[in-house]
Amino acid sequence: MPDVRMAAYVHSKGVSWEVKNDTLMPSDRLRQDRSESPTPGLVEGTEPGAGQEGAMFVHAQSFEDLTADSEPNTDNKSAEVDDAQEEALEEGDEEEHLESEQEEKGKEELKNSNKAKEEDVTSETWRSHRKHVFVLSEAGKPIYTRYGTEEALSSIMGVMMLLMSFVEDKKNIIRSIHADGYRVVFLRKTPLILVGVSRTSCSDRELTRELQYVYFQIVSLLTLTQLNHVFQHRQSYDLRRLLAGSEHLTDNLLRLLDRDPGLLLSAVMCLPLANSARDVVSSSLQAAKAKNLVFSILLAGNRLVTLVRKKDQFLHHMDLHLLFNLVGSSSSFREGEGWTPICLPKFNPAGFFHAHISYLEPASDLCLILVSTDREDFFNLSDCKKRFLERLRRRSAYQSLQEALNTPSYSLSQVGIPELRHFVYKSKSSGLYTSPDLPALYEGGEEQERLMGLYQHLHSCLHHPTRPLRCIYRCTDTENLYALVTSGFELYLCFSPLGTKSLAVSAVNRLLKWIRKEEDRLFILSPLTY
Amino acid sequence: MSRKKALKGKGSSNTPNSSPSAEKEKGKKVSSQANGVVHPSRPSLSNSGEFYDIAFKVMLVGDSGVGKTCLLVRFKDGAFLAGSFISTVGIDFRNKVLSIDSMRVKLQIWDTAGQERFRSVTHAYYRDAHALLLLYDVTNKSSFDNIQAWLTEIHEFAQQNVVIMLLGNKADATHERIVKREEGEKLAKEFGVPFMETSAKTGLNVELAFTAVAKELKHRELKEPNEPKFQLQEYVNKEMKGVGCCRS
Repeated sequence: MPDVRMAAYVHSKGVSWEVKNDTLMPSDRLRQDRSESPTPGLVEGTEPGAGQEGAMFVHAQSFEDLTADSEPNTDNKSAEVDDAQEEALEEGDEEEHLESEQEEKGKEELKNSNKAKEEDVTSETWRSHRKHVFVLSEAGKPIYTRYGTEEALSSIMGVMMLLMSFVEDKKNIIRSIHADGYRVVFLRKTPLILVGVSRTSCSDRELTRELQYVYFQIVSLLTLTQLNHVFQHRQSYDLRRLLAGSEHLTDNLLRLLDRDPGLLLSAVMCLPLANSARDVVSSSLQAAKAKNLVFSILLAGNRLVTLVRKKDQFLHHMDLHLLFNLVGSSSSFREGEGWTPICLPKFNPAGFFHAHISYLEPASDLCLILVSTDREDFFNLSDCKKRFLERLRRRSAYQSLQEALNTPSYSLSQVGIPELRHFVYKSKSSGLYTSPDLPALYEGGEEQERLMGLYQHLHSCLHHPTRPLRCIYRCTDTENLYALVTSGFELYLCFSPLGTKSLAVSAVNRLLKWIRKEEDRLFILSPLTY
Repeated sequence: MSRKKALKGKGSSNTPNSSPSAEKEKGKKVSSQANGVVHPSRPSLSNSGEFYDIAFKVMLVGDSGVGKTCLLVRFKDGAFLAGSFISTVGIDFRNKVLSIDSMRVKLQIWDTAGQERFRSVTHAYYRDAHALLLLYDVTNKSSFDNIQAWLTEIHEFAQQNVVIMLLGNKADATHERIVKREEGEKLAKEFGVPFMETSAKTGLNVELAFTAVAKELKHRELKEPNEPKFQLQEYVNKEMKGVGCCRS
């Protein structure tokens, strides 16, 4: 038994998945994604929050960039099978009672999983979850489920696989099934298959985007090279073995997708911080460099304090969100210094970076991530962190940073627009967004998710693949919503139901003025490189 | 990849590599050693701001979920991480300064992730380790069965003279126990490594495991040429507590 385990150990010595310094960029593709903007209204690059010296992210227009590679030009081929879905669900139900062969292994892994995992997959509660996500291999082997255990779902996943290959057999591609208030979306990312089942109003494209995120989460743990290698070697490989202990990462990612506007907008939020203080932090981080260091990132919870990058190297916001997720869902970095391989799939899906992750203090929310190309770089990076901290203290910036952390982001009362409850503003050229604290009305997971759902709906109207809107005003019983997109920014506003359309339109100008006034506090205007 | 420097066995990045034939001086004024051990001539400041005389690297290895992080947290902070399963990502580095025979010994402890996908990272750090605490879970047979494979790996990647100690963790879980104490002893004997059972939950033998390793390492580095070897196994046997008598 032990020999088998070690023999199947896949980090075989001959193969290297390290990112080599001279080939940091996989191809020129990413650079070409930077958008060119037409000129109406606020020109991109001059909108509030636009960086002065270019962006620090690989530029993503919005999610077109994310979904582009997953949407082959097969619109004519796509098939929507309407009633097959119910069959699938029922069929699955019956077979779920079957005992899984891998009982023993499953039991072992059960210990590692949380409560949501122990849920009975035949129960009504399991069926009534708003959004399910399943990942399986092309051999139909379960890899991940958001709720319940994978073993218990092996037959339903088999059905999913069957549906997929049935349609593909006829030279077609199954994209989604709509039936009975459910939406089932399929995404094939060889060697994986991802399936999302949703009862929400979320569109196919939105669901596909979320599946993409899950896919990249898995790639970030293993690299695409290793993923392919494993399945080429053995088609029936149980990938859960390599992913063991990472389930909570995917769980947390799905939670973020439901709640964090950053993932929806393909943008990152900054910690509001006085310009001068941020400059000190950034330059201290810039000075603490090392030969193989590519990115230095300082986070405060789920907000970015600063990011310093190697000249000419750009981070994709999705990679940054994956780093956020890694840090946010692991408590193990709190105390010591963490050192872990991580693949940034949008940067280069073929290789691992190595990240030094540590909190500046165990009790603080400030987390420093240093990303290097060298797997033996731990002590160098540990030294970088020390130098950074020394510099911060010497220039007494640490105090102001702590203060900024302790004060809440900002509330809408500062903006002073009546009836406005919440907004999200994204500067397209910098890839950064800002948003006030959630008002009490939307606090608590469910309400927050509902608001996010509303924004998501507006977002999908603005970014409709064939008939995109420039602005949309929508009234519901509980709130009035207004969203607009220009070449420079995207803005989503939520008013009380007493608000009017003219109020909403006039609010936009006032809000933009306010953001312009505050932009050096809310955004990172001068990103640094080393 | 990680093999290339394995034979050199000098990993410590903060050691100025001075004369390998360093004569041992009396007292604390010891110069750097070839082994990558830090011997500051005056007490130095460690990360946590504590002074120390000598430093060693200790690594915790073993299958995922055997309690490596819990053991470390019990040792470092005297607390038990109950409840949720926290899985270590990659390697986690922490320091603790111990006082051994009136000398301050800094242990730099590397807590590793047991999962397969992190194996390649942990390999790279084996060769720098002065001691390895190899853990299995007495309630999990496969973690015990894997010990042999772990030892093979250790011999491949670690220094020749690395101190190894086998620990059967979760000894408090009498009802779920599957691996008998005798089986652990037998295996340890077979491979010639010291052994004891520990419990991160009750604290049983946790302190001892680390201090015994620290004693051994300190003794190796500083002993006079004619001084007898430190008998790690004997020391452990003498100090070790059984499961029965330590249920505080």
